[in-house]
Amino acid sequence: MTTAQTGEVVKEPSVPATPSDQRERDRMRRRLARRRGGGWWPYLFLAPWFVGLFGLTIYPMLDSLYLSFTNFDLLTPAQWVGMDNYNRMFAEDPVFWDSVHATLVYVLVSVPLKLALALAVAMLLNRDLRGIGLYRAAFYLPSLLGGAVAIAIVWRQVFGGEGLFNDFLGWFGLNTGQDWISSPDTALYTLVLLAVWQFGTPMVIFLAGLKQLPKDVFEAAAIDGAGAVTRFFKITLPLLTPIVFFNVVLQIIDAFKTFTPAFVISNGSGGPLNSTMLYSLYLYKKGFTDLQMGYASALAWVLFLVIALFTAVNFIASRYWVHYDD
Amino acid sequence: MGHQISRRTLFRTASGLAVAGALGSSLSACAGGTGAGSTSGDLTMTWWGSDDRHNAYKKALALFQKQNSKIKIRETYQGYDGYFDKFNTNIAGGSAPDLLQMDTALVAQYARKGVLAPLDSYVGKSLDLTGFSKTLLAAGTVDGEFYGVPSGIGVNQLTVNRSGLEKLGLKLPDREWTWADLKKIAQDVHKKSGGKTYGVDDGGGSTLQCFEVFAREKGQTFFSDDGKKLGFTSDTLQEWWEYWAEMRKTNASPPPAITSAAHNDLTKNAVVIGKALFTFDSGVYGAGGSITDAQLDFLPTPQGDFSGAREGNFVNGGVLLCATKASKKVADSVKIMNFFAQDDTAIKDMQLFRGIPPTEKARNLIASGLTETDKLNMENADYISQRVSKASNALPAPVPPPQGADQIWDLLFQSNLAVAFGKKSIKAQLSEFFDQASGILGG
Repeated sequence: MTTAQTGEVVKEPSVPATPSDQRERDRMRRRLARRRGGGWWPYLFLAPWFVGLFGLTIYPMLDSLYLSFTNFDLLTPAQWVGMDNYNRMFAEDPVFWDSVHATLVYVLVSVPLKLALALAVAMLLNRDLRGIGLYRAAFYLPSLLGGAVAIAIVWRQVFGGEGLFNDFLGWFGLNTGQDWISSPDTALYTLVLLAVWQFGTPMVIFLAGLKQLPKDVFEAAAIDGAGAVTRFFKITLPLLTPIVFFNVVLQIIDAFKTFTPAFVISNGSGGPLNSTMLYSLYLYKKGFTDLQMGYASALAWVLFLVIALFTAVNFIASRYWVHYDD
Repeated sequence: MGHQISRRTLFRTASGLAVAGALGSSLSACAGGTGAGSTSGDLTMTWWGSDDRHNAYKKALALFQKQNSKIKIRETYQGYDGYFDKFNTNIAGGSAPDLLQMDTALVAQYARKGVLAPLDSYVGKSLDLTGFSKTLLAAGTVDGEFYGVPSGIGVNQLTVNRSGLEKLGLKLPDREWTWADLKKIAQDVHKKSGGKTYGVDDGGGSTLQCFEVFAREKGQTFFSDDGKKLGFTSDTLQEWWEYWAEMRKTNASPPPAITSAAHNDLTKNAVVIGKALFTFDSGVYGAGGSITDAQLDFLPTPQGDFSGAREGNFVNGGVLLCATKASKKVADSVKIMNFFAQDDTAIKDMQLFRGIPPTEKARNLIASGLTETDKLNMENADYISQRVSKASNALPAPVPPPQGADQIWDLLFQSNLAVAFGKKSIKAQLSEFFDQASGILGG
């Protein structure tokens, strides 16, 4: 079958055939011939995907690469400016560096915390309790809601000066009247907290991984006297490293692209003092508000390269700490 | 069942797709092209505002449709947030509206980029601007060409929580007040309220209603006439920031967290949340409706206290109605502009929802149906425009701001905040402000 599909000649077997064998073989040959001749129609079914790939991904990417060398402002035709956008970014734009700083802090703080919480909760939920499905759903819920604008608005209210969070601190006599959202020292961390709160997706993946771990190994370890902590660090974590790796890669990419909460919580300003100016938000502001789409395209390409770099480093580093079965 | 997860199953499928998808979307989100003209047969009209303004527009347009059944209008409206982001995207995508409500602050930028249709050839024919003053029409005039019909008079004024002031036993200041008077009463508010309320929201980073007036009193403008430079000196801004630093220190103005929270969010305005009694943000009562229960009153921006002080206030154009250049229905759009400018019923429907009506005739038409606060608002606006027109030393009304203006206003706001939060000294922030501003205007 495989050879026939790739167009090679099907060799006759050398054993003499019975008449019924012969008939069977003739039918087969006709079918193969038909398949070879009609080789175009699988592509028809693939066409929507190709249209999507080229029309909505490849072409816009190349277009944005071109635009990143222009001064395109959305309203008038683009003019070639060479490397100006890139030079400006690194040499003349302090807000760019503010956004890089905010984004790196956001990524490097939120991803480890989120994964640690996801793993901890996955461990808790990996047992046969009554109504465990309900608990799992409850813990996953924030992730379903998380990307929504509504949640970001709720966040803004919760961490505002008159918000619930301060009321909560008030129960312990800790209310300082601090407005967490509008102070440059804390605003970014409310975003980090929102990201960590949405630990559901990596949690579900961890849970799936935990389910696949061999029970017998744990039983043997327990009999040998290994405590819960030892079992976690010596057995669970090493066996789980492929899953950890998978989550790390995806969460880092996701974190770099965070936009909605930063946009909503800061009212689109990235403030106070650019402390919540995540990279995607700055990119959006430049492109659609400040009418500098050429510059925004350059920003997008730098983001692309940085994400690619982080991912590559992740893959290379993974050789030293990720253990596979195969 | 395998004991562990194999590399093959995990990465070949899920992550490969996810990574490709993730990277792809961040790039493809940023491409665009230019196109022109709306395609459907309807005339599209768009505006921003509050619910009250939406309803007023819809009511007026319903009447217009009745009188002009051939023109089919498709109305789209929203809040100010994202309004111009959407407009920019629509223009780039070739689906710009035919007729839109335009911000006086942005009209120059769009006119110079060739987005707006010049209207000079319609004026005096299908567009009747009888009764509009010259200063008012200047708001819609860019480089000598007329692009937008102003909806009303915009003046810079403070909104005052009068009932709150009376409760503390304080009197509403006289209209001819100074910056020193403002400081005095704002400090009194804090004292008399037992520290519960600050006096006036922090104006150190507030441009349109505030710093621009201050600079004009010194004979300086915010932008140079050609829009390529700032029109004020470093000394002026330094004096301004020192004034507000003093205001914060003496609790006449609230701490920066309150100021910062109110940025782009009227519902967090210091007067609205009861943390101050005076605000420079006209939005608290801007669209003809109040978002507080307090009885409000209005005062001109204070001025004086230094040698050579001159009239700093000016009269602006509310919002504008503009047509887009790519539209095939400019003539129809002009009919609608004319309808809003001159039709009695339309004027009554719109009340003060787009500012104080632009003509004497319109102001008389709506006078009888006004609320108490509307009346106070109109009285104060009247007072300011009369004072401005009588002043012999006032600068002409500012030219429509250049491209990048909104970035500079934001820079001013953030700079004041950096000083207020103690992240920068005034001196250091001054040089940073001027550096960045020249970068924005020059580049």
